[in-house]
Formats: sequence, C-alpha cells, structure tokens
Amino acid sequence: MHRRAIPFVRCTSANSYAQRDRVGRPALSAKAGWGTLLGSRSLIVSGGPRLGVSKKNKGMITLFQVILSGLAIGAIYGLIGMALAISYYVTRVINFAQGQLLMIAIMVVAAISSAGCSPWIAVLAGLAASCVIGVLSYVVAVRPILAFDRFSFGWLVSTLGFAVVVENAAAYIWGPTSRPFPPLLNSSSLHIGGAILTQQQLLAIVAAIGLAAVFELVRRHTLFGKLGMAIAADPEMASAIGANITVVAVVAFAISGLFAGIAGILIGPLTFANPYLGDTYGTYGFIAMMIGGGTEKPVAAMFGGLLLGILSEGANALINSQASDWFPFLVLVVILIFTPRGLFSSGNFLLRLRPAH
Amino acid sequence: MKTEPNQALRISSLFAGYGRFDVVRDISLRIEEGEAVALLGPNGAGKTTVLRAIMGLVKHRRGTIQVFGTEISALPTHRIASGYAAIAPEGRRLFLDQSVEDNLMLGALHLRRDKARVQALIESVYELFPVLLDYRRRRSAFLSGGEQQMVAIGRMLMSDPQVLLLDEPSVALSPVAVDIVVKALLELRKRGASLLLVEQRIDVAVRICDRLYIMTHGEIVDEMNPDTIGHEGIGMINKYLG
Repeated sequence: MHRRAIPFVRCTSANSYAQRDRVGRPALSAKAGWGTLLGSRSLIVSGGPRLGVSKKNKGMITLFQVILSGLAIGAIYGLIGMALAISYYVTRVINFAQGQLLMIAIMVVAAISSAGCSPWIAVLAGLAASCVIGVLSYVVAVRPILAFDRFSFGWLVSTLGFAVVVENAAAYIWGPTSRPFPPLLNSSSLHIGGAILTQQQLLAIVAAIGLAAVFELVRRHTLFGKLGMAIAADPEMASAIGANITVVAVVAFAISGLFAGIAGILIGPLTFANPYLGDTYGTYGFIAMMIGGGTEKPVAAMFGGLLLGILSEGANALINSQASDWFPFLVLVVILIFTPRGLFSSGNFLLRLRPAH
Repeated sequence: MKTEPNQALRISSLFAGYGRFDVVRDISLRIEEGEAVALLGPNGAGKTTVLRAIMGLVKHRRGTIQVFGTEISALPTHRIASGYAAIAPEGRRLFLDQSVEDNLMLGALHLRRDKARVQALIESVYELFPVLLDYRRRRSAFLSGGEQQMVAIGRMLMSDPQVLLLDEPSVALSPVAVDIVVKALLELRKRGASLLLVEQRIDVAVRICDRLYIMTHGEIVDEMNPDTIGHEGIGMINKYLG
C-alpha cells in the first residue's frame, strides 16, 4: 500500500509552519515531531547509504527506529503525564492547564534567548515560570473550588478556563505565530543498530527516566514523599496528624509545573515556540497518565507515556502518517476497558486485567 | 471565662455541625489534667462530631475549646494536631499502603526536626505495644483489626499531644483485642495522659474513665461518676444508649 510505504517521509516536519492552522496553532499531528523529523533520516538509513541491506533487516531497522523515536516523544508525554499525575495525587484534581505550563516554559525561553541572554539562563527562567504558573493555577483555579466544597467538580471548568486565559495571554504578549527556540545541543546524532537518535532525543529519554526515578525514590523513601502518599490516601486524616494540606498542594503544583516545563524545554527545539501548542501536549499527557495508571502512582504515567510514544510512532509507520492523531485514543479506550486503573498502577497486573463492570 | 491552668480540656457552649445543621448543641465539658473522661451515647448522638470539632475537622462550629488555657477553636487542624490534641479515629483510618513504622513516624510530623524526641516516643509506643516492634516493616493493610487499633493509638501518641481523643477504640474488636487496648489506655493513664474517650460500651468506659458524660440528640444530658453509678445508673445509661 502506497501510504504504508512512506510513513517517515511525511510532507512536513513538526517545525514546519505548514502544519499549523490559520492562527498558527500546531495541528494535532504536529506532536509527533521527532518521528517526523527522524523519519526522513531513517529513510536515508534504510534506503540511502545502505542499499545492500536486506528487506528483513530494513524492517528491523525501521522497527528499531520506531521504538527509539517513540521512546523519545513518549518521554515527553510521560513527563506531562507525570506532571498531571503529581497534582492529581495530592489534590484529586486534574489540572487541564498542564499543557499551557509546558507552553509557558517554551515561550519564556524563546523570548529571553531572543533578547540576547544565554539559552541556559533562559531555560532556568522558563522552568521558574512554569513552576510559578503551576502554583498560580492552584491558587486561582483549584483552591477556591476545593475550599468551597472538597468534592466539587468545579475545577473541571476552572482549570480549563485558566488554560484559555494563559494561552491567550501568551498569544497577546508574544504574538500568535511561532518564534524560534534556541538550539540547546548540537545537532549530531548517534547511530544505534542502523537507527538514528539525536542528542536532543537521547537527552529527553535520559532526563525523563531520571526524573521519574528520582520522583519515585523521594515518594517512597522520604518523609515528604510518605506525607504525599498519606494525603493521597486520606487527606482529612493527614491533616489530623499535622499535615498542612495547602502547603503540600502548592509544592505538588510547583513540581508538576517543573515537570511540564522540563518537557517543554526538551521538545522546544522541535516545535518552536507557539502559544497554542499546550492543548496538544496536554491531551497526550492526559492519555499517558490514563494508560499508565498515573492516577494511582505518578511514575506509572511515565511508563504510559513511553508506551504511548511507541504506539504513536508505530501507528504512523504502519497505518498512515496521520494515524497517531486517533490511534492513541483507540488504545486508551481498549486499555481502560480491560484494566480501568491503567496498565502500570499498583497491585497485581493479572488481577487488574478484567473488563470494567 | 478563665480556665483553670490544670484543666487539660475545657469546652464551653459548643455548637458544631455540617452545612446549616447543628449536630451538637450547647456542649460544655471539661477534662482535668491526667483525667480520663468518657462520652457515652447512642449512634447519632453527636459524640464523633464533638471529637471532630475539637480537631478542627468540622467547618461550622461556635463556642470555645481550650487546651491548658489556650484557645484552639480558631486554629487550623494541622496546628491543633501539632501537640494540642491528637485523635485515634473511628475505623482507625491508617495509611494502609504504608508500613507500621511509617504510620507512626507520620504521627510525629511536627516533631520531625527533634530526632531524639521522636526516637523516645517511638520506643515508648513499642513498649506499650511490643507486637508493633515485630511488625514495624509490615504494611498496615496486612494487620488484624486489633493490631491496626494499636497502630492508630501509637500514631496518636507520636505527636506527644496534651489531650488524647479516642473514638470507639473497642468497636469491631475481639474480646482479647479489647482487653489489650483497655490495658494500654490504663497504662497511658498511669503515665499521666488526659483523655476523652467516645464509647458505646459502658463496661469499657467504666474500666478506664473517672467521669462519664451521657450524650443524646446532640446534647449532654447527664454526668456520672463510675464509682457511684450502681445498678440504677447503669440501667439509666443503657436506657439512653438504647
């Protein structure tokens, strides 16, 4: 089939403005930036300098490339999924402005570096900005709702509203079109088993897995982490043993802002800086959290993200170049039917693998 | 109103409830230092609401609550739990995913910088309930009801509170477990603890406490002394308890 034969030579890269709509919003498919970008390279790998490679080996190389590209983009989804899960873990609130925290980090880095500052200073400022906006989202959109009624679902609307305000404020300040994002690493690539991994991709995978590991160590082995677990299990009882729930929630939203900001810095060189790119990444982060089971254990969202990345890239390669727009939703539905708490949540996987009643 | 300095807890004209509804009305009670007082009453009398109001877990409350002369009714829950009062709630409400020792250490949250004191407190809890020392690494979910109650009492003690609040510690326990809990509470009394015990079992309350308040329909209707209750008094309490 013609379309299956050219999965990696999508007509545009994620950086291309052709993938944006009239106001500069990235199309949903733009999130598969690395797969697209690498796709053209993998074609070189599989068809260019390696004309003597057998068809079977070419398939293996393509598969390996899909996995590597998937892990790289999945690491970003996982970070956003973890960001969502961390704030949910403590407050039982899904912050629908999470994608906008990623966007704010990207926009601030782009703005400061274009003013002539060192990109690394810009990165620190971007991360600080996403933390601050994360805390602001709690103070403005979550706390007043929970203070009125802890079991209210008003946060569904208030966090969405906060996202819209942040997005439009960013478009107002920096303009609705894309701006350049500073290259943080040089463009050299690693060749692994015939597939290619850029330094930026490698950094994304290592950073995401490292952050997830550190988070899990802190959660399990420090008093603050155990306090977070206590609040997640029974916030009222945690308060009755002396936990200041508000302070812990503020810290959790700051950490979730940090995770989203890091995801933004890692993907920024490929997406450029656009005020409307938060929604797409927020959605895929949400899917990563739900697939993985991040509502019970934040680190599970990272596993969900990595799996989602591989599935998205695989769908692009094996179905068609736009399949990653719908395939993850299909996977999400199937997974939630068979294991409603997510694939990697706590407890025995086999016991969980039952259809929802 | 001036509080006597040796009064561990003094509640005056307390109204507390949920939404617009006052579950308890015009409650006044006192606990002297080192005294154990029981709050007896049938289901729905408002006993648990009194304990929740003391801990600041009930939003709507009026009246005064003083611990050794300090007004705590305006303090947030986490401040009240930082040494003024601590609760072993109904149903234990342990953090079931965490180990026995983690549950105990979380009880000492406000003392986390005073490692020597925390160590002394945890040793005193293990002395009170030696079985917890053997199970300290075990997840709380895997303990029996009696053992979970021991952890709940231990967690309460870890904050070194001035007033101990216990909500039906004997409920759903075997007779052996009830006996262990009662002995532990008597030991705490020997150590000088001031405690307010909510109970439905009059035999448990009489073994532990110096005075009994009888509560029904959100109000305290009687106050008794276990030494002078006699059969007539027990019959009357049973009538109140239904």
